Amino acid sequence: MRVRADPRLRQDRRLAVAFVTPAISVIALIAIFPLAWTVWNSLHLQDLRMPWLGHPFVGLDNYAELARDPRFWSSLGHTLFFTVATVALELVLGMVLALAMNSAFRGRGAARATSLLPWAIPTVVAALLWRFMFDSQAGIVNALLVAIGILEQPMVWFIEATTAWIPVILSDVWKTTPFVAILLLAGLQNIDKTLYEAAEVDGASAWWRLWHITIPLLKPTIFVALIFRTLDAFRVFDLLYALTGGGPGTATEPIALYTHTIILQHLRFGYGSALSVVVFVITFALAIIYIRGLGLRLSGEER
Amino acid sequence: MALVCAALAVVGCGERERESGRTVITISSSVVGTDGPLLRRQLDRFMQLHPNIEVRLHRVSDDATQRHQLFVQWLNARAGDPDVLELDVVWTSEFAAAGWLLPLKDPSIDTTAFFPGTLRACRWAGDLYALPWYADVGLLYRRTDLVPREPRSLEELRQFAQRAGDRVPFGIAWMGARYEGLVTVFVEYLGGFGGEIMDDSMNIRVDGPEAVRALTYMRDQIVRWKIAPNDVLTWHEEETRFAFQNGRAAFMRNWPYAYAAMADTAQSRVAGRYAVSPMPAAPGGHPTAALGGAQLAINRWTEHPEAAFRLVAFITAPAQQLERAVAIGEFPTLRAVYDDPALRAALAIPADDARRAVESATPRPVTPLYTQLSEILQIELHRALAGQRTPEAALADAARKMNAAIERTGLREYMSGRPVTSTR
Repeated sequence: MRVRADPRLRQDRRLAVAFVTPAISVIALIAIFPLAWTVWNSLHLQDLRMPWLGHPFVGLDNYAELARDPRFWSSLGHTLFFTVATVALELVLGMVLALAMNSAFRGRGAARATSLLPWAIPTVVAALLWRFMFDSQAGIVNALLVAIGILEQPMVWFIEATTAWIPVILSDVWKTTPFVAILLLAGLQNIDKTLYEAAEVDGASAWWRLWHITIPLLKPTIFVALIFRTLDAFRVFDLLYALTGGGPGTATEPIALYTHTIILQHLRFGYGSALSVVVFVITFALAIIYIRGLGLRLSGEER
Repeated sequence: MALVCAALAVVGCGERERESGRTVITISSSVVGTDGPLLRRQLDRFMQLHPNIEVRLHRVSDDATQRHQLFVQWLNARAGDPDVLELDVVWTSEFAAAGWLLPLKDPSIDTTAFFPGTLRACRWAGDLYALPWYADVGLLYRRTDLVPREPRSLEELRQFAQRAGDRVPFGIAWMGARYEGLVTVFVEYLGGFGGEIMDDSMNIRVDGPEAVRALTYMRDQIVRWKIAPNDVLTWHEEETRFAFQNGRAAFMRNWPYAYAAMADTAQSRVAGRYAVSPMPAAPGGHPTAALGGAQLAINRWTEHPEAAFRLVAFITAPAQQLERAVAIGEFPTLRAVYDDPALRAALAIPADDARRAVESATPRPVTPLYTQLSEILQIELHRALAGQRTPEAALADAARKMNAAIERTGLREYMSGRPVTSTR
């Protein structure tokens, strides 16, 4: 209920505007201005290699080209595939890891600290590490698989699309699951222990307790983890840049890598801006879907 | 004075020196390994000769792709620093077309002193934009204990590699990963069959019968004759060298650096048992070596074009090229240097082999679109080699995409002086 005529309230509001203005202008400067600039660029032809073409306004031409560009569509497909596969695996494994770390056992502190190690390794270093492990001649993976008889002879992982995805997904899951686990662990520790005690007294099984206490109460945390991971995975760049370079052919090329190539290798700033805008629109839409559709629970007020 | 200068360094000593009549210029350089001290020594000598010029090193990444990005960002922002740019051979036309380099018109430049291939990569639209600094060329390494002599044709290369197959796992090793190195390998076989990627009028020739034969030959090495392992499709320079250095291959296609690197008996199992030659050709073709290496160019936005040119001329002069070859084994781009006994004594590779290779050096297509055209080609070559499609189909597709890229830019109209009509 608002009291419309209260002069004190109006004064407060003016004060609030004054307080907020600096923050808003900083955001405008570092977020909105570059975004608007990119959108503006995407409506122009700007090819640094061809200064004689100038940079005329071309309307939606860049977007029309994009719609006809098979490499754009396939890179978008790779990005979606990578996002769904890694986020799903990381969520399930992260949950298992968090539950394990949440139970009381000797050396729990050490286990929590060491589980974070992969997360602490720089992505490019991790990617190179995995590339060596999957090397056809000297890699440990081939050596192991041949030794236990799964493979007859060493396999060249990175020359076929299907097999190249295996180290890609594994390395991302290896690296990022700890992050998800720690997020979920924080959520687990906020759950009131008495709920479990009461359930146990009533004779509920461990499975029932997981489905009816842990998961529902953990939902806000799960959504936070989902938002972080989905947006991160969608913008994946460094891992694939170092691990496969987008190959074989362009079979593992994500959209961020394609955009990078267009802008910094081909110097096509206009077309590259259009690609950037599309990536922005998709990630923004994903964020809104999460926050509007699921994120109501973030505040924890409605329950 | 030095102390004062050091104290003032943070507050702009450069400005003071300019006031005192000294011109300050910068040169880009990756100063890792033995490269850095050598360049600093040469710059010191230059400053002794020109007391009114001070040269500073502007450190940049050692990685070519990253250096390309840095230069694009700086030059596009019209930064005058570094004044002198170290360019990879395939960037010069791109930067010249973008208007980022000063044309070199000084009458003192003797273009006939350089190997023609190295100089062709420095030209754009009839003007000279850079001077060749050192040359990197593709070489065919062979194991002298497994191969009777230098193969005289591609047919002989196959026979020798097949025959050595009983004693080593691989007949031949090369870099076939999807990256620039694959194009350099292809360029050599392509020249060997008498083909080219693009002619001087920017017509794409990569779908011609010679190109199909060249790519088929590469593919046959893997699939039909089984002299190259499938693994080459993931190999870069170093994986290729390791295979050869560990005694697993009879032939290897690599760059000159591998020669000195494999001489160390502690690491190399083939020390003293290898030799080099240019890649041989098939009937109708000519021996071709892909040209790599670096050139020096002058930033369009420099405030001191005179001083910058003097520096470029000094570093590319015979004495400095010879010093560089002796110190770190990089091939000179001036013919005369190869006659110098000091070079013959110092170079790991016999000087006549080195000279033959640089003479057969062919630049990759000289066009501002090179990076894009190369990428199209890399993808299609890799698809064909991995067996995803036939060489004919892959090359036809590559040519179609390359033509589309060129047409979109109006490059051919621009080159022929016609008004550029297409905007897309």
